[in-house]
Amino acid sequence: MNAARKEWPAALCALPAAEVKHLANVLSGELEVRDVALPHAGLGLLNLRDGAFEESYFIGEIPVARAEVTVRSAAGDEERGGALIVDDRAQLARSIAILDAVMAGKLPGSVPAMALVQRGMQVRQQKQSERKKLLAATRVDFSLLGQEDDEDEE
Amino acid sequence: MSYVAIKGGKAAIDGAAAATDYLRCKGSLDEPLTLAMIEEQLRLLTSRVVSEGGLYHPRLAALALKQFQGDTLEAAFALRAYRSTKPRLLESPPQDTSKMRCIRRISSAFKEVPGGQYLGATYDYALRLLQLDLANEDPAAFKAVAQSFLRDTPDSELPDNFPKVIDALRAEGLLPPVVPSRAPAFDITRDPLVFPVPRSAALATMARAETGGLLAMAYSNMRGYGDVHPTVAELRVGYLPVMLPHPVTGELMEAGEVLITECEVVAMYEGSNGDELPTFTLGYGACFGHNEVKAISMAILDRALQKGMRDGPTNPSEDPEFVLLHVDGVDSMGFASHYKMPHYVTFQSDMDRLRTTQQKMQQQDTEATA
Repeated sequence: MNAARKEWPAALCALPAAEVKHLANVLSGELEVRDVALPHAGLGLLNLRDGAFEESYFIGEIPVARAEVTVRSAAGDEERGGALIVDDRAQLARSIAILDAVMAGKLPGSVPAMALVQRGMQVRQQKQSERKKLLAATRVDFSLLGQEDDEDEE
Repeated sequence: MSYVAIKGGKAAIDGAAAATDYLRCKGSLDEPLTLAMIEEQLRLLTSRVVSEGGLYHPRLAALALKQFQGDTLEAAFALRAYRSTKPRLLESPPQDTSKMRCIRRISSAFKEVPGGQYLGATYDYALRLLQLDLANEDPAAFKAVAQSFLRDTPDSELPDNFPKVIDALRAEGLLPPVVPSRAPAFDITRDPLVFPVPRSAALATMARAETGGLLAMAYSNMRGYGDVHPTVAELRVGYLPVMLPHPVTGELMEAGEVLITECEVVAMYEGSNGDELPTFTLGYGACFGHNEVKAISMAILDRALQKGMRDGPTNPSEDPEFVLLHVDGVDSMGFASHYKMPHYVTFQSDMDRLRTTQQKMQQQDTEATA
């Protein structure tokens, strides 16, 4: 099953950057890639909605990298791709933007690109499963407390 | 205040840098610390630096800790210096913390909170006794700990995120209602604090405050210079997905995630205002990384500052100016450290004035006895 486009960047970021860059480099050799804007890295101000009164405030900054490209196949098919990731590697953002365009336009190379996304999703799933184990191992069971004398409760 | 330019110090300053690095490297271990070791094994220290530096970059925080040999104030300073060299590319849309992927979630208000309570990784119930076997930890046993935990803990079908505990209280009418605010959030990195400041400025300032400084202010409120015993409605630690617009489609997508600690406290209800029913008061705290003391302290101070902003402060922890101008680690450390800089001119002036005063008094005594 193919993942939705909005899930691609997080999946690709879950993989070693070298793998993502390698595939993007290979595809760049077969396709014409033009930068719509130069890839760049900087900071983003992270706006949170506070949990008490739902007011916005800035908790701090995050590194962000952004890239936008147009990819054209030998057959003349063209698609725009972009990436905006919480990371400070502009070239990684560019690689993801290339894969984004390739997959969005179903250009040559979209099959291995989607396979990479699927693998990234598995990595994310694995990571989330490991985090859930932290919860599962430490769930508090208050049913035992109910069997004791409630006078001990504070 | 005046300082004096000194010649001849360059060699000493270069030597100081070399001496500092010598102490970092001279230890009995041949292997330098890797950033991954610091980030993973000293995760709570790294958490302090990302939060006090105001930049969620755990790897650079680990680097700063390595460079400054564990000094969290200097490491946070370095992280802020780094951020000042980077362009600001965007301001994110408001993120919804109920989407947090929790790794710990507790409430001291209710036993049965919707979704359940999970202790996660905590020292709360541990004896504070030194674990002497860690002094000579076997690398194989070290690796086996993580492997066996994952192997021995069954997979679970827990949800990715949990409802907020205070939502249940609010639904029951026990909390003040949410009044939608259209005011833009205050950016403390671009605008100075000129009092009175909006609550968003207070939250942002406390989110990157020094943990000990914030705790000290909150402790004054807890111990007696405040009249509340708050209850932690919910304390959660987890990974918040950062949702940013896709550069082409504009659709919100997950661009990454940040580890945050978040806390809501409820405190003694306030008397009714006119026809309104009384409700509990509420405080909120959150910071980058895993830092529970900081989030709780911030929540207590948020509640105290709300009271101070509304009714006027009755103790220091309710005074926005007192709290917000004294909790920043980089600011306060910088001021304390500046006393080490040469003050030769000002001190010479102090000595001159003292000598003159002494001479005048001695002269007056002499004249009086003559």
